[in-house]
Amino acid sequence: MTSLVTYIIRRMMLLVFVLLGVTALVFAITMMFPPDVRAYMYIRNAEQTRPGVMTGLIEKYGLNDPFYLQYGRWLSQVFEGNLGWSHAAGVGGMPVTEAIRTKWPYTFEIVLFAAPLIIFVGIYIGVQAAIHRNGVIDQISRVISIVGWSLPSFWVGMLLLATVNASFHVSLTGPLTQGSINYVTSSGFVRATGVDIFDGVLNAAFFQGRARDIVVGANNTGGMAISWISDLGVSVDALSHVILPVIVIVVIDMALLIRVMRSSMLEALGKPYIITAKAKGLKKNVVIYKHARRNALIPVATLSGMLVAGLLGGLVITETVFSMPGLGNWAAASAVQVDIPAVLGYAILSALMFVIANLVVDILYAYIDPRIRLD
Amino acid sequence: MVDMKGRWQEFKVSMRPRLKEYAFMLRRMRQSPLAMVGLVIVLVFAAIAVLAPVLAPPQGSDPFMIPKDTSLANVRPVEPIPPTTNHVFGTVELQYDLYYGCIWGTITAFRIGLLVVGVSLMIGLLVGTLAGFYGGLLDEILMRFTDIIIAFPGLILAMAFVIAFPQAIQINLSFMLLVVFVLASFGIIAFRPNKKLLLIVQVLLAFSLLSIFYSPVSLGLSLSKLDKVMVAITLVGWPGYTRVIRGEILRVKNEDYVEASRASGSSDSGIILRHIWPNTIYPILIVATLDIGSIVLSAAALSFIGIGAPQGFADWGQIIQSCRNWLVTPGQIFAHYHTFVIPGLFISFFVMGWNLLGDALRDILDPIIRRK
Repeated sequence: MTSLVTYIIRRMMLLVFVLLGVTALVFAITMMFPPDVRAYMYIRNAEQTRPGVMTGLIEKYGLNDPFYLQYGRWLSQVFEGNLGWSHAAGVGGMPVTEAIRTKWPYTFEIVLFAAPLIIFVGIYIGVQAAIHRNGVIDQISRVISIVGWSLPSFWVGMLLLATVNASFHVSLTGPLTQGSINYVTSSGFVRATGVDIFDGVLNAAFFQGRARDIVVGANNTGGMAISWISDLGVSVDALSHVILPVIVIVVIDMALLIRVMRSSMLEALGKPYIITAKAKGLKKNVVIYKHARRNALIPVATLSGMLVAGLLGGLVITETVFSMPGLGNWAAASAVQVDIPAVLGYAILSALMFVIANLVVDILYAYIDPRIRLD
Repeated sequence: MVDMKGRWQEFKVSMRPRLKEYAFMLRRMRQSPLAMVGLVIVLVFAAIAVLAPVLAPPQGSDPFMIPKDTSLANVRPVEPIPPTTNHVFGTVELQYDLYYGCIWGTITAFRIGLLVVGVSLMIGLLVGTLAGFYGGLLDEILMRFTDIIIAFPGLILAMAFVIAFPQAIQINLSFMLLVVFVLASFGIIAFRPNKKLLLIVQVLLAFSLLSIFYSPVSLGLSLSKLDKVMVAITLVGWPGYTRVIRGEILRVKNEDYVEASRASGSSDSGIILRHIWPNTIYPILIVATLDIGSIVLSAAALSFIGIGAPQGFADWGQIIQSCRNWLVTPGQIFAHYHTFVIPGLFISFFVMGWNLLGDALRDILDPIIRRK
């Protein structure tokens, strides 16, 4: 066990260096911008966006100084919890940390359904394809994964949107329908988690007494009365808006997982210990699922970790297609509007996700496979 | 003369196993239907790219700008029209001809895919070889640097690069030369310890250092939006190649034939050129083939966000992006389907062709699984 602990500590120390490198790299990229654009990285409230104050900021934070001085100052800002001001995050802008907090739930909603689907279904199909190599399942999964991998995700999203719109006459863009948005933002609805799917259920289950006392504002055209049914309606509405993005991500991202699982399983099935297990007279299923699949899962674990981190870090394209106000949509909008602190904050956030996922996967590895930690 | 003939014989004998290998690969390739489909798709696109000036004669000074039907635009300024005899695929927003855009977009796709993969591959080959072959501190520094870039989700870093690059950049030639000479002197020390050569390079190095301080020579370079996208994707892509190449070199460098070559007095560069690269190149070619498709997808995604090719440029991603407003037309179901279905099919088939080819190449070239 001690070797595992030292291994984890060693990995964590490496993580700090990678994070320092990552932030230095993005900071170096931002240095290409003139000081008045970069001043936004130090702004804490709307008051400071006025032109007169901005010039003061350029002097105060020495935005014409050499790189290492600025980087040091900026890092200390980050440790104080200030990532700057994002002018692309809604009308009037908001602090980057605030933007991350309010946009995170919409990304999370999609990942909540997409990630398990991709991982479990992908592993299942990959294993089946490897067992029945060159069989029908293998050929079908090969075609599906190559096609899925070749499709531009924004195009699939647009096709789905247009088709759903033509067939059902509903527009499934955005997180909720307008009626539900009015309902959710009215004061009777308790936004406990910020995730609409959870909040609907929570309101229906726990906040009944509170919700019934409060009258919905006059501009509520949604026509929903406050009751547990309409609370649950919010969840259902949110769920229906998540379906299309989830389909897009599953179609696109499952392809890679299937391929990796298949080849890793094929490799495992060719190992001598499988022959030994078969020679011992073990049942076929035991050999496949206990001996081969377990070993074949190791590379898939890495991929899954990276995949989830990538998804949580934001679905730039998918969210943009479906107008989901999540992290990815915000990042895309900030890139177009040259909102430097937002892009910087977002890049750091997603890098952090990747690094943490890497660490988790490494620790899992060391736990599963003793050869790694003893190396 | 006799000597030449002898050498030619020797060469033929030494090449025989390699030729046999190529013949085997070709045979395997013909047996795999998916590989053939992929090859045919790529060849069809290559034919479209080559014949583009015939298929869709350019009308303006810049062939990559899609011609606009001005007479049509006077009647119907914005809304796309469905396919007609004048516009075989119809038009997109602002009456740009879709057919022209799709045909010339093929050249753009090849340009993006091949250039980005080529440059990333070259950087990766150089850095990966240095890191893998020499190891030690150099390896540690180079690999930690690639770790940092790989720690990013590619699209986001590419986005940051695209918006950070100015339209026109001043390349400091003196500085570039300095870097080249520093690398060269390292190379000389590592590969070919030759005092005279080293002295020349170091004198040049000293001159470039002086020139940086006294009169820097700089070169103005203007980058189009598409160039910026390509540079950004290259900057994001090379660490992946470096990692693969380094891994391959680590695998090969302790093989017996490398040891034998070293024992018989070959120089490092000789070993790398004659033994290490030929034995590491196949896995890298597979990665590169698969990568061409995904690079075209990334470029299209950047166009879709709105930071890629400008409006009216013959680029599939840009064309689809300009159709976003016409997804849904109230009262007219499927009215503007052609505007995004056709360019989408072009992208999908292009990427699929490379993916099929790469996937089949992996089965054919991978020595572990191919003989089964």
